[in-house]
Amino acid sequence: MNVFTHHNKLRLLQIFVIAMLLVSIMIGRLFYIMVFKSKYYGDKAVALQERERSIKAPRGLIYDRNGVIIAGNKAVCSISVIHSQITDEEAVISELSKRLDMDESVIRKKVEKVSSREKIKSNVDKEIADEIRDLDLDGVMIDDDYKRYYPYSELASKVIGFTGADNQGIVGIEVFYDDVLMGTNGSINTLTDAKGIEIPGAAEERVEPVPGDNLVLTLDVNIQMYIEQAAMKVMQEKNANRVCIIVMNPQNGEIYGMADVPEYNLNDPFTYNRDDIDEADVTQDDLNNMWRNFCINDTYEPGSTFKIVTATSAFEEGVVSIDDTFYCPGYKLVGDRRIKCHKTVGHGAETFKQGIMNSCNPVFMEVGARVGAENFYKNMEKLGLFEKTGVDLPGEAGSIFHKLENVGEVELATMSFGQSFQITPLQLMRAVSAVINGGTLVTPHFGKYITDDNNNIISELKYNTKSGVIDTETSETMKYLLEAVISEGTGKNAYLEGYSIGGKTATSEKLPRSSNKYISSFIGFSPAQNPTVLTLILIDEPEGIYYGGTIAAPVVGDIYSNILPYLGIEKEEVEDSE
Amino acid sequence: MEKVKRTTKNSFWIKGGYTDFQTIFLTFVIVLFGLMMVYSSSSYRAITSGYPGTYFMMRQGVFAVIGFVAMYTVSRINYRYLTNLSVILMYLAIALLAYVLVLGRASHGATRWIQIGSFQLQPSEIAKPIIIIYMADACVKKSKYLNTMVGILKIIALPVVCIGLIAAENLSTAIVCFAIVVAILFVASPKLFNLIVLGIIGVGAAALLVVTVGYRGDRFEAWRHPETSEKGFQTLQSLYAIGSGGFFGRGPGNSIQKLGFLPESHNDMIFSVVCEELGLFGALVVIGLFVMLIFRFKFVADGSIDSFGGFIITGVITHIAVQLIVNIGVVTNTIPPTGVTLPFISYGGTSLIFMLAEVGLVLSVSRQMSLTE
Repeated sequence: MNVFTHHNKLRLLQIFVIAMLLVSIMIGRLFYIMVFKSKYYGDKAVALQERERSIKAPRGLIYDRNGVIIAGNKAVCSISVIHSQITDEEAVISELSKRLDMDESVIRKKVEKVSSREKIKSNVDKEIADEIRDLDLDGVMIDDDYKRYYPYSELASKVIGFTGADNQGIVGIEVFYDDVLMGTNGSINTLTDAKGIEIPGAAEERVEPVPGDNLVLTLDVNIQMYIEQAAMKVMQEKNANRVCIIVMNPQNGEIYGMADVPEYNLNDPFTYNRDDIDEADVTQDDLNNMWRNFCINDTYEPGSTFKIVTATSAFEEGVVSIDDTFYCPGYKLVGDRRIKCHKTVGHGAETFKQGIMNSCNPVFMEVGARVGAENFYKNMEKLGLFEKTGVDLPGEAGSIFHKLENVGEVELATMSFGQSFQITPLQLMRAVSAVINGGTLVTPHFGKYITDDNNNIISELKYNTKSGVIDTETSETMKYLLEAVISEGTGKNAYLEGYSIGGKTATSEKLPRSSNKYISSFIGFSPAQNPTVLTLILIDEPEGIYYGGTIAAPVVGDIYSNILPYLGIEKEEVEDSE
Repeated sequence: MEKVKRTTKNSFWIKGGYTDFQTIFLTFVIVLFGLMMVYSSSSYRAITSGYPGTYFMMRQGVFAVIGFVAMYTVSRINYRYLTNLSVILMYLAIALLAYVLVLGRASHGATRWIQIGSFQLQPSEIAKPIIIIYMADACVKKSKYLNTMVGILKIIALPVVCIGLIAAENLSTAIVCFAIVVAILFVASPKLFNLIVLGIIGVGAAALLVVTVGYRGDRFEAWRHPETSEKGFQTLQSLYAIGSGGFFGRGPGNSIQKLGFLPESHNDMIFSVVCEELGLFGALVVIGLFVMLIFRFKFVADGSIDSFGGFIITGVITHIAVQLIVNIGVVTNTIPPTGVTLPFISYGGTSLIFMLAEVGLVLSVSRQMSLTE
């Protein structure tokens, strides 16, 4: 008989030892995976197994300065079905189709689809969703959602902006303050099987949503409504391309209203607001243009309103006094160029005061030359014209100026009366504010407070101001002169019984000069000695009479007749001037 | 040395003799644990396929009962009688393998089984114990052949045919069979030189096969980069399951990866579910049970009254050890993915029944063994 020899046993022992060695390696591997890599693989497994049901956080509200809601949320629901949980398919199909006003066949397809979750409809009104919820149908899921809602539809559309599908800001205040307004979505994390069906009894982790903070604006709904109406009225009367009106407190930069008509419907921002293009031909560019806020996103040649800056520079540099006399023959020779005054027959002999009241170009060309390019630029810089205003809206444009070294006498002359450079309307507002508020460069702004759920103020928004950019005496002189423009000069159409108003008109010819297209504008403030309301109006491409003093100034007069009493500015005894 | 009452004649049945309760107990514990794990890992699949949750476990239970009956019956057979049957059994195995191969080719599918009612008989599983018996027998009867290269080739000629037929459809089973052949030769051969030469040739052939056959190259890619490889899905799911087990696991029945994430969760990948539910602790206990069983087998082999019994047990030990190591190697991504079941635990009728029959062989050897106090 063959015996299992010692030799055989030794060999078997060797096999056993090799096997045990290999088993030890496997144990080592298991130890490595289950101890050192446990978190790594465990986390990956959870990421795979866990299903997050998001709980939408409501977006913060936007209020006007008086607490009126400008942007709110509408509670809506989304309805979905889970195939595996449906017990009565027919009931689900018929009820949903009846209440959601949808075709049975569409719903049937989704109900019968074997998937973890099929969305039937989103943005369903809360009332209808509640009705469906009351039916208590197995396998029908109703999730709360929020949709941005703008109660005033078109009001301040270019300022407020709107939100996208995920309630994220797209343009305007909505995007600038997105971080403030956007809440943090909550979630329910549950473990599911590979088909995404929740595992009964598995631990559920719930993270509550945090609603976004509210934003209180400096905007006043009533003022905004009024200026939009006034703007629409003049736009229609003059068949203009667009009309912009900005109303701001020059003392602190709070913007009460900013209109750029035609406005668009914030609840329906993808519908084009003009009828110059066929609905079908509207491109994304057209929509972008519609959403553009001319007051801050575009630049223009300010024209004669800029004479305020020229005059201020002259006083700052001490190169002129109000009684200095000038002579206007209807033009001024600058180098080899003959630059005309708007009154081609000339204003004749006039003082500086009369020059500004007449908006006489040769006077300002002369004054500009006296200031000199370098000092002119220094003063423009002090008035913030080379920087963005810092307004709390996205996409602000910057100004376009000649480089100082390229400014010859012709350039200086044209700049003196507001041509051959471009600024935004809001930059003009800011510069003029500094001129009339005693020399403080403010930051125009909309955001006032951030408040919590219960409208308690969380923080007051602060903005940079820079005081003493011009001399108070210069400021006083300018206010006096600009009041004279209204009471006796080109701005007399803005005159308002019982109120002192200062201001300046402008009529800028758009480029190219030969096109005969104009921007008529007027900037005016009240009360003249202690201004708390500054208003700029721009009428883009008016038809017929296009003089700012004729068509723009009266609009501001009309606006002031309404909003000055509204703002509690009392009528004053106006002493008859001269 | 105390000799147990034993049957020395080549009678078919053995009456009485030593009963190795340790082997029986360990086998019973492992099979019972396997049934529990099959239930845990398959109930989701059973339910989602429209069966009761206990479907796979009940089937496996029936196989286990058949397996234990087979184990007892084989343990009562005088293993030495098998020397008379080894060649016939070998030809039977080759015939069955050739039959499924031709049948499979004819039906344009990789068929690895013969359908008997609702039960699928896998000839490759039957081939394993037959190769063990044949090799053990050949190494005893033709022990002189072991001295020459040609002799060894003569011994392994039929098993190589058999392995070749298996390899055509199922490389991993072929590897297991190859390991059995090598292990028995290793234990039986007086010298190693010829064996080493043959081993080098064999490994070279295997390497050539791996490089030339495309889909096995994919497996290498899945092994090296399971996170990015398309074929690495199963491996990755297995690692997720094992990793999320940690020290003590999610608790019995609480695996989440078995809920449709992990393919083959009740089959080749059942050890991943063991790890996920019972943790490193449970995995070590399971491995410990196997080590104890193998150690016990070695003890029986050492006490075997003849080399035939020792060689048979060598084959059984190799079979269990290789499948255990390869299976854990695959689920832990230590080696490239290949389909090898975890002995006694993975779902599968033929595998369980014939594995238990092999334990019966060991028990049969133990009945006649000489016990050393």
